[in-house]
Amino acid sequence: MTQAEIKLCSLLLQEHFGEIVEKIGVHLIRTGSQPLRAIVHDTGTSLDQVKKALCVLIQHNLVIYQVHKRGVVEYEAQCSRVLRMLRYPRYIYTTKALYGDTGELIVEELLLNGKMTMSAVVKKVADRLTETVEDGKTMDYAEVSNTFVQLADTRFIQRCPMVHAPEDSDTGPPPPAPSLVINEKDMYLVPKLSLIGKGKRRRSSDEDAAGEPKAKRPKRPADNKEIFRSLPVGYNISKQVLDQYLTLLADDPLEFVGKSGDSGGGMFVINFYKALASLATATLESVIQERFGSRCARIFRLVLQKKHLEQKQVEDFAMIPAKEAKDMLYKMLSENFISLQEIPKTPDHAPSRTFYLYTVNILSAARMLLHRCYKSVTNLIERRQFETKENKRLLEKSQRVEAIIASVQATGAEEAQLQEIEEMITAPERQQLETLKRNVNKLDASEIQVDETIFLLESYIESTMKRQ
Amino acid sequence: MAGNKGRGRAAYTFNIEAVGFGKGEKLPDVVLKPPPLFPDTDYKPVPLKTGESEDYMLALKQELRETMKRKPYFIEKTEEKPDIERYSKKYMQVYKEEWIPDWRRLPREMMPRKKCRKDPKSKKAKGTDKVSSLINTADVLKKIEELEKRGDGEKSDEENEEKEGSKEKSKEGDDDNDDDDAEQEDYDEEEQEEENDYINSYFEDGDDFGADSDDNMDEATY
Repeated sequence: MTQAEIKLCSLLLQEHFGEIVEKIGVHLIRTGSQPLRAIVHDTGTSLDQVKKALCVLIQHNLVIYQVHKRGVVEYEAQCSRVLRMLRYPRYIYTTKALYGDTGELIVEELLLNGKMTMSAVVKKVADRLTETVEDGKTMDYAEVSNTFVQLADTRFIQRCPMVHAPEDSDTGPPPPAPSLVINEKDMYLVPKLSLIGKGKRRRSSDEDAAGEPKAKRPKRPADNKEIFRSLPVGYNISKQVLDQYLTLLADDPLEFVGKSGDSGGGMFVINFYKALASLATATLESVIQERFGSRCARIFRLVLQKKHLEQKQVEDFAMIPAKEAKDMLYKMLSENFISLQEIPKTPDHAPSRTFYLYTVNILSAARMLLHRCYKSVTNLIERRQFETKENKRLLEKSQRVEAIIASVQATGAEEAQLQEIEEMITAPERQQLETLKRNVNKLDASEIQVDETIFLLESYIESTMKRQ
Repeated sequence: MAGNKGRGRAAYTFNIEAVGFGKGEKLPDVVLKPPPLFPDTDYKPVPLKTGESEDYMLALKQELRETMKRKPYFIEKTEEKPDIERYSKKYMQVYKEEWIPDWRRLPREMMPRKKCRKDPKSKKAKGTDKVSSLINTADVLKKIEELEKRGDGEKSDEENEEKEGSKEKSKEGDDDNDDDDAEQEDYDEEEQEEENDYINSYFEDGDDFGADSDDNMDEATY
């Protein structure tokens, strides 16, 4: 955990759960796993508040606990989970695109509440949907629970670990913490529940679901007949054309689709690692292009392509005047996009008798860029909070005025009266509010878009680490 | 390399021209300060992506942030009293829904104590606390001495449990005292109750015990 990541975690926790939870969460991230006593002692927070904060963090899957010897329970923060909070809007949006409003609300409720029983989710979502449809119509529980099952099937949501009840409970005192058991088989299985009707509801068993959309599927080669069979009906692609497409894809230098064998007319696999590596490389290239200009990008691509180059070769191949090429190369070197490899000819490492080879280490460059992304998001959030704080009084005023208008409207006031209240906010104030809104929107949108890059780089780094 | 540092020679061990400086050209000054906080950028940032999905996600993000604040998971700091009570404040009040955690899924120590104690922060209670903790430490020391005599490191765990047991007992004794006090001073306010968490004394107790016993125990084991 770098300082930048911790800072970002701290801001995210503070925005979503308040300052007390932030304090406890950051303490756990910094110190690793800790027992309750130590947390209370080290943070100087009251026991009650620490307990509450831990409950919240456990509920949202941000902290896990483990029983250690002598029955001491230790709590450990899941920092990567905390950083995921940045991605919640995208999770919700993706489910909306794939499963409509019902899916959107299911995932939203789960993200807001961390863990929920299926019955509670279905009820809440059905209620919320009923509010939006016209009068007289209601949302059926069955429909919502259908979508719920679909989401579990496609692994957008998963079941929480079960509480493992000890069989012989009469021996000794009850354990200090329940032991949670994950059954891989059941993780994406939804138990059959009879959720019928709109008002009546039977209490379901203690099945919980945790909202953490995941896209993982077992990798497996498929032959071309299988691919042909599973094509959607509307595509109108003949077997022959499909074969051509597949061959083209397999021959593509990017190797997103690989041919793993010739049996059954060719077996094809999707190479996620290659795809992610290409995307990460493209991201690096475009960052260079936008930060240092297109001529630097040319040098970068050149080094990337030729793997190792001497300075003289870079100057020649890039067809850029030597002096400028050196300048660009050193700039990228000092910003850690390009790395330098020394190969001494003699054991004394004398500079005059050493080869200096320039190279791009994509993995370390990606790590460096990821780190910068965390810093950027941290800065964006801090700026947004600063903007909001600066205009706190104005914002509060406008909220108050809106509240008054709403309540006066409810009592059926005249138009003139409403206008009078509206004029409590002056024109310059209104303008200031507009500017603030525009700035906050821009900062928020930037956060979402930086997170897109974070997602890509994290996925690439993770898949590279798995291969090693 | 020392040979290079002779009189009249350049102080560099390599050919300066290789890094792009001509003969006799002035080298740039050494930078001794950190780079500026807001450096000039040569290129303007690319405009943000816009579109329906971006707008929707933005709305989702802002809504999520606001909703989170109204959830029971958002624990606010104990608010300081506002300078003036505003009439309009009552329109803006948010009512948080109750949240009862599923205690079956949480460690037992997370449960708030059910018994609502009203142990006032009277000097008396504190006094008894201190005394009992002293007694407790004395007990512990005695036990450890016994242990040392026996020189049995293996059994220390068992002993420890016993000690914990005795501590529990003495704590219960405390509780009785507290209850008596509570009966006398039932009118005490809740704030006081929070301030004067019985657990504090428990921790003090534990710390003392830990500090003393640890040293001795080490001796016993080695």
